[in-house]
Amino acid sequence: MPASVLQITDAEFARFRDYFYRRTGIYFEDSKRYFVDKRLLERMRHTEYYSFRSYFTFMRFQASGQEFQQLVNCMTVNETYFMRERYQFECLVEETLNEIVQYPQNKARTLRIWSIPSSTGEEPYSIALSLLEYWPLIEQVDVEIVASDIDTHVLDRCRRGLYSDRSLMHISQDIRDRYFLPKGANQWQLCQDIRDSVLFTQVNLADLAQTREYRHFDIIFCRNLLIYFDEPARRRAAEVFYDALNPGGFIFLGHSESMSRISSLFKVRKFNKALAYQKPLD
Amino acid sequence: MKQVLIVDDAVTVRLYHRHLITELGYPTSEAENGVEALEKAMQASFALMLVDVNMPKMDGYRFIEEVRKNPDLQSIPIIMISTESEAKDIQKAYSVGANFYLIKPTDPKRLQDLVTLILGQSKQEI
Amino acid sequence: MALKRVQTHVQPTSVATADAAQGDQAPDWQTLIAHLQDPQAHTRRWAARELANFVHSVPHLFTQLDRETDLKVQEAIFCSLQSLGGPQVVEGLIARLNSDDAGIRNTVIEILQTLPEEVAPHIQDLLAHTNPDIRIFAIDILQLLAHPCAPEWLLHVLAQEQHPNVLGTAIDRLLELGTPEMLPQLNALQARVAQTPYLKFALDAAIQRIEDTSNAG
Repeated sequence: MPASVLQITDAEFARFRDYFYRRTGIYFEDSKRYFVDKRLLERMRHTEYYSFRSYFTFMRFQASGQEFQQLVNCMTVNETYFMRERYQFECLVEETLNEIVQYPQNKARTLRIWSIPSSTGEEPYSIALSLLEYWPLIEQVDVEIVASDIDTHVLDRCRRGLYSDRSLMHISQDIRDRYFLPKGANQWQLCQDIRDSVLFTQVNLADLAQTREYRHFDIIFCRNLLIYFDEPARRRAAEVFYDALNPGGFIFLGHSESMSRISSLFKVRKFNKALAYQKPLD
Repeated sequence: MKQVLIVDDAVTVRLYHRHLITELGYPTSEAENGVEALEKAMQASFALMLVDVNMPKMDGYRFIEEVRKNPDLQSIPIIMISTESEAKDIQKAYSVGANFYLIKPTDPKRLQDLVTLILGQSKQEI
Repeated sequence: MALKRVQTHVQPTSVATADAAQGDQAPDWQTLIAHLQDPQAHTRRWAARELANFVHSVPHLFTQLDRETDLKVQEAIFCSLQSLGGPQVVEGLIARLNSDDAGIRNTVIEILQTLPEEVAPHIQDLLAHTNPDIRIFAIDILQLLAHPCAPEWLLHVLAQEQHPNVLGTAIDRLLELGTPEMLPQLNALQARVAQTPYLKFALDAAIQRIEDTSNAG
């Protein structure tokens, strides 16, 4: 059959939707049909399976799980820019941190935030800017930010702090003026003070020895990473995060991710602006 | 409108229970395990939950315990629906806080009668 | 401002020297085995985590799992057993499918689903187990097991199985795994499930989905 007339039927869509939901917790509403079909057909052409059935069987039983991961990659658009999923940063400074500083054991202590994966730095720097701009208690409380990635190349880019207009599209002119310096056409460099406030480290979450020293954090941002892991790696990562958090500390996951396919060790907490997962206090 | 949360890892069981509940005129929402059910329960309001026992990540007993500990959720009626029919299983369900227990495979009339009874009753309270 | 300037080390300076049992250094095996029975749950948890580095810790992890009541320690034990893998782990897990603790049973299933090669030799025994709950768990393991024989095993269940809940679980999985070649066997079930409304509903759904999928050509 020529690739151009390939299509996905209602029943095939339903079968794929059930499978994807069970594996990832992501449920595609009927309104996402076009989006899902388009990407499924792309993968079918790429792998040269010219019927849904043969493709689905191949993907479903592939021992390495690689094709499933490819599907996850293309079903979840992963673009990074400053203040992406802004509501989570708002939740952090308006609700979550205020709760953490109220726990008696946290009086007069430095709070610690871990951002993983750091990617090219937009997330940890968005945390830093949110704290400085929108969290009044930053005048009284010390905060350390650690940002980690498995890829040393992106860590170098984090340290340089050079960003395009597109990266800064959700940053107000006022904040841009105060924290960024123009560097040629469409390039901006984050000021040295902010770059110096984040410690960048290389870490592999699957490596027990490497993760051993990641401890005593109050907040972890781990967005759009675990969805790309297979089940054993996700289980290991959840364990690492549990040990990395102080009792009562919180994890934020990506907007389409859910702890429901990962771990039940954390308490689901509903804040006004976002869901977060809390390590129990006891 | 009173909504019913269906918690089961088997997709045909979710479909079947959804079919029976919507026949009675109540909308439903579904979750595959206890953690997902807690996430959903915190983001919407439910008048009743149907809960399976064996599920990945968080089983039905633990889910009910978590619900009963949560001030926002603790008064929601729960029907546990399980393949396990021994007295100790039924006892365990009630001891963690289930209000009713049905044995699988689900008898449609028993489930529908029970749902009507529960949701009809609580109408006056709300 | 009170954003701290970067330190050279990931650990906060104030606590870097604490955490005797859980510090930066990997403790030796003997110490970890002793810590696995410590009265403090967080010490047991840390020992369980670190024992993932030692193949010969498998029996000790299972022994502790059987008496462990703290969920966070159970999880760490499971995580280490999963990364250790191997026949000894699979046999130990299978032996715990009939645990009284629903959480243990279900986590055992999750881990077995990720070990297809080691699990495959046991599947047929599990599907023929005298306890219907174990047969259901065997089908649950098949659900995510990336093994090419999974559809064939399910068909065998359809042909042999008498218990309605085991049969129901097998039909449920065929909603995802079913292919047009299975339609004759599924249609042959119609008469057997006619008196059980849920089974009839599930079978109709599975057949409908296979037909809709195959009609597309």
